[in-house]
Amino acid sequence: MTRSTSRRDILLGAAALAGAATLPRAASADTKGRIVVGTWGGDYARLLNKNIEAPILIKDGWDVVQDQAGDPERRSKMLAEQRLPRGGSDVQGLSALNMFQMNDAGVVLPIDYGKLKNAGNLLPAMKYPYGVGQIYSGKVGVYNPKIITTAPVSYKDVFDPKHGNKLGIIDIQYQYTMVCAALAAGGKVNDLEPGKKLLMECKKAGMRIYPTNEAFAQGLKSEEFGTGVMWKARVVQWQNAGIPVSAVAPTEGALAYISGFVVPKNAPNKDGAYAYLDAMLEKSAQEAFAVDMGYNPTVANATVAPDLNQRIGFTPEEVKKLVDLDYDYMNKYDVEFKEWWDKELKS
Amino acid sequence: MTATTTFHADERPSSLLSASALVGPATAFVTLGLLAPMAILLRYSFNRFDPRRMMIETFSLDNYVKFFADPYYTGVLWTTLRVAALCTVACLIMGLPLAYVLARTQSRYKNVMIMLVVLPLFVGNAVRAAGWMTLFGTKGFLNVTLIQLGIIAAPMEMMFTEGAVVAGIIAVNLPYMVLTLQSVIEGINRNVEEAAFSLGAGPATMFRRVLLPLSLPGILAGTILTFILGMNAYATPVLLGGPKFKMMGPLVYGQFQLNNWPFGASAAFILMTATLGLTAAANILIQRRFRR
Repeated sequence: MTRSTSRRDILLGAAALAGAATLPRAASADTKGRIVVGTWGGDYARLLNKNIEAPILIKDGWDVVQDQAGDPERRSKMLAEQRLPRGGSDVQGLSALNMFQMNDAGVVLPIDYGKLKNAGNLLPAMKYPYGVGQIYSGKVGVYNPKIITTAPVSYKDVFDPKHGNKLGIIDIQYQYTMVCAALAAGGKVNDLEPGKKLLMECKKAGMRIYPTNEAFAQGLKSEEFGTGVMWKARVVQWQNAGIPVSAVAPTEGALAYISGFVVPKNAPNKDGAYAYLDAMLEKSAQEAFAVDMGYNPTVANATVAPDLNQRIGFTPEEVKKLVDLDYDYMNKYDVEFKEWWDKELKS
Repeated sequence: MTATTTFHADERPSSLLSASALVGPATAFVTLGLLAPMAILLRYSFNRFDPRRMMIETFSLDNYVKFFADPYYTGVLWTTLRVAALCTVACLIMGLPLAYVLARTQSRYKNVMIMLVVLPLFVGNAVRAAGWMTLFGTKGFLNVTLIQLGIIAAPMEMMFTEGAVVAGIIAVNLPYMVLTLQSVIEGINRNVEEAAFSLGAGPATMFRRVLLPLSLPGILAGTILTFILGMNAYATPVLLGGPKFKMMGPLVYGQFQLNNWPFGASAAFILMTATLGLTAAANILIQRRFRR
């Protein structure tokens, strides 16, 4: 008797547990569906939620879940999941170079722009066959006027060995730094050899290498060094934080940084993925990102206040001169560039 | 009713709680959670890197050859070994007297003292390293103090040096060494020390002939623990060593960031083999030395 009662109790308990486990699914059945978003963490993830997910998608009945991690981890995950019929995410936030890389690896879906009602507003340069640009900025020359009294106007002025240990670069930005140095040395985006030579000269003169963007900002603030290159959006954030730094768009053309989203081929909810892409191109979301993060909108109908635009934006001439990476070249030689950076430049 | 109190022969509690049943869950967990991924990673280390496809399945020792043929990578391994060994020796030298005092003290504040030793472990490695950064920076506490005291004229470069990394790792590993030694020394009867003194041994002789051999299991355990932690350090070398200082942990992670899983996997196995090999060799050598 005891045994049968016990068994009933167990069965009852198990049924209750199973029932409880289905509750979230039952709740999600009331929504349009779940969208899993692969993204970096920190401020960016918070702003995605604040400006895109909460006011547009969740309000519209979607259930949005963020899968936060660094992009190397998320790219590895996409590659590791490529054989699975259902992947772990519906959209992935990546830089333009990484979007190209993932497309090259054959793991992302070609974008059907016909499914995006906001596609008509998207700037042509932000419309990749395999991904959609969400925000952009450019690599500008930065300097502390107290230390560098003659304002640089070009990458050539920044990467000048005469600065000695007053020139600083960032370790994690090796790709963009090498391309900027190549442009400074008269090279091209698909020929970094002159840039390598110039960087070695700067190194001999005492150039400082900082591990992260934050350490670079700290060095600028403490006046350890006075000039370098950085995304204009980040410079605005530093200025807001009281770091004495000015920015100049280089005469060679600022190297563009574009961040966007791709849809993995095995995304479980492709309709949700397109809803996300459309929401991120909404005028309100694009304008909010310009205000909150200092990055430029990628849609033509977004309005940025003139004073803000002066700080984060580029003039029409500067926009025309924006330089994009040679994605194929960078992707092909990335490991070699990193090895050179680690073994030669940092040794 | 009787069914609840009567057991069949094959349902005896002793058989249900047999040794194999007790070790089963842990064994299954380790096999699934550690050995299986390691076996997969070992297989990857023989593959070839391809920028487009991440890796191409093959069976080649190229990644291992590349590591040992390149002075840069062998240099990183030597740096790692040097730093780990230095930190282990420093932890042992600093930890042994502290552990002895903690083990022998009769103070009512003993528990508080032990908590103070453990306190650094309540803070994560990255947060602790951030604390060191404020201490070592050009305008950090140390430099500012030394300049104000007139000891130095210009700030010293302390951040992004091997010294900063060694200091950071010692701070992380020292509590492990102290706690391991303290528990072993506490188990040594105080009377054997008194006996040595009563037979005419000085403190140094007593330490060398009595305390050291008896606390050897603790020394070995503490040394192994701190050496392994030192070899696999990641956050401290990255944050305090800066971009130019490389140890194996950050090197392995850097390869995975580049999607070069085959080379990253081979570097991981070289690190693991070096750590296990040296630990085992030191264990055997020390035990032989003190057995005589």
